[in-house]
Amino acid sequence: MSVFGDGLKAEIEGFLKRYETRRSAILPVLHAIQDVHGWIKPEHIEELHTVYGLDRVHVKEVITFYDIYKDKPVRKFQIRYCKNITCHMLGARPAIARIREHIAALDAAHGEDGAFSLEEFPCLGKCDGAPVMLVNKERVEHATVDKIDQLLTKYAPTVLR
Amino acid sequence: MAQDKPRIILRTEGLANPRALKTYIEHAEGYTAIKKVLGGAVTREQLIEEVKASGLRGRGGAGFPTGLKWTFVPQSDTGPKYLICNNDESEPGTFKDRHICTVNPHQVIEGMVLAAFAIKANKGYIYTRWEFQEEIGYLVEAIKEAYAAGFLGKNILGSGFDFDLDHYSGAGAYICGEETGLISSLEGKKGQPKVKPPFPAVSGYLGRPTIVNNTETLANVPWIVNHGAKEFRQYGTEKSPGSKLFSISGALVRPGVYEVPLGYPFERLVQEECGGYLPGRSLQALIPGGASAPLLTPEEVKGLTLDYEAMASRGTMLGSGAIMIIDDRQVLAELLKVTIEFFAHESCGQCTPCREGTGWLNNIMDGVLGGTAKPDSVERMRTVAKHMGGKTICALSDACAMPVTSYVQKFSGQLQAYLAQAAAAGSHVK
Repeated sequence: MSVFGDGLKAEIEGFLKRYETRRSAILPVLHAIQDVHGWIKPEHIEELHTVYGLDRVHVKEVITFYDIYKDKPVRKFQIRYCKNITCHMLGARPAIARIREHIAALDAAHGEDGAFSLEEFPCLGKCDGAPVMLVNKERVEHATVDKIDQLLTKYAPTVLR
Repeated sequence: MAQDKPRIILRTEGLANPRALKTYIEHAEGYTAIKKVLGGAVTREQLIEEVKASGLRGRGGAGFPTGLKWTFVPQSDTGPKYLICNNDESEPGTFKDRHICTVNPHQVIEGMVLAAFAIKANKGYIYTRWEFQEEIGYLVEAIKEAYAAGFLGKNILGSGFDFDLDHYSGAGAYICGEETGLISSLEGKKGQPKVKPPFPAVSGYLGRPTIVNNTETLANVPWIVNHGAKEFRQYGTEKSPGSKLFSISGALVRPGVYEVPLGYPFERLVQEECGGYLPGRSLQALIPGGASAPLLTPEEVKGLTLDYEAMASRGTMLGSGAIMIIDDRQVLAELLKVTIEFFAHESCGQCTPCREGTGWLNNIMDGVLGGTAKPDSVERMRTVAKHMGGKTICALSDACAMPVTSYVQKFSGQLQAYLAQAAAAGSHVK
């Protein structure tokens, strides 16, 4: 019994045939697993090793090298907030502080499974919309304190219900 | 007389459905350059010569002549060769390739078919940073359209030339913008750069000849084929011909991506394209070519033109055309910390001067901002930065050292003020 499920299994097998070497498939395979499961679990790495022949050391070094891959459980909404130069100049710091306050309040009310997590992110490549953040894969531009308040107040009750 | 502001790259910007194949074909001479070349009107040698004659220089940051780079692929080698579009665009301050993907992705694809034909590659990849989720969608869609129309795949336009193109997504690592780091990543490994030589043109992806070209560079090629090197040289300067996309951000009325001829006056870009500085703000310092470029003072910015030579003459660089305006409300020491922290985070860890140097600088800056720094901190930063330059496999170490050196040289006043404050408060670490 696969830990991946049929749809994901087919996708993984597709990636393994798609590139010149199986190893080249590691990044796309990990993206696909994470899209479905949110993070890369130890049993995923084991099955990639035993069933698909992707060396567990090769897989783990990729997971730990790149910022996007997570080997710990993640929350429903992952906020990645850009803290680089232009975002910093246009208000990243107070916005990040406000997100922390929101998350602390939500966690206090709902426990550890509060829906949001925050990662101060090295760069998001959208300086003309600074300050910028990603909520999962969706880009939010001009994410200043006011907008943070609106967004998190809007999302929080629906996702936590 | 050449147009004042050429449209070589952003030809479909502002049109309805700018990204669609139909738009590219109807409004931007779409795929006529490959018809010319694959139809036999232009030979492989003529194509390379034309690109060389155009003076096109790599738009990713290094500014290396594109046509010359293509000739480094050993033509006697009959095995597989690869063409990679470096769409990793990770230098802080740069977002022009993202904009090309948003408004004119087909021109990149057509440029890739031409470049692949020139170097005899039958397989190509576009490698995009993960953070560009929307834009990855646009590229995948454009590739699909190009396949369906017969501009990619086997026997393109009946020419006998095959070129398969696939998209590959990064996973959040600045270093994958370095071409050998990108190749490592595409091989499914940590994105660690490789020792050169051998250069990728000889031994790249899977040890095979590989050319890595930036997105904007590739997008120039169809235009050069259609209009010729001579017309291309009507724009820009003698040594920096053509147009360039500039990503400009900071306290401006209209930050964004603008296509202007190389050699364009900086002040004009700020006033005309960007609508000037935000009310009440003025220029404190300028980052002219991404986070790794040495800063310029307002005095040095006077009369500045946007080309490789003008930047070099002021001891800085054009890089990828990433201009960041540091206005008078900013605390430079904080921005220096942001810059160093970025490079410390992104160092791949292979080379000691980079891995340790970026970390040391980061620790020193924590001390400076936290009021616990030693009195000689600024001097120590200068020394550490000096020993980080030119000693590593790739340029990341230099990319951190260069801005540090320029901050320390030109703006040490603010750093010293922090140190003086800490000394007065008696919080120096002995």
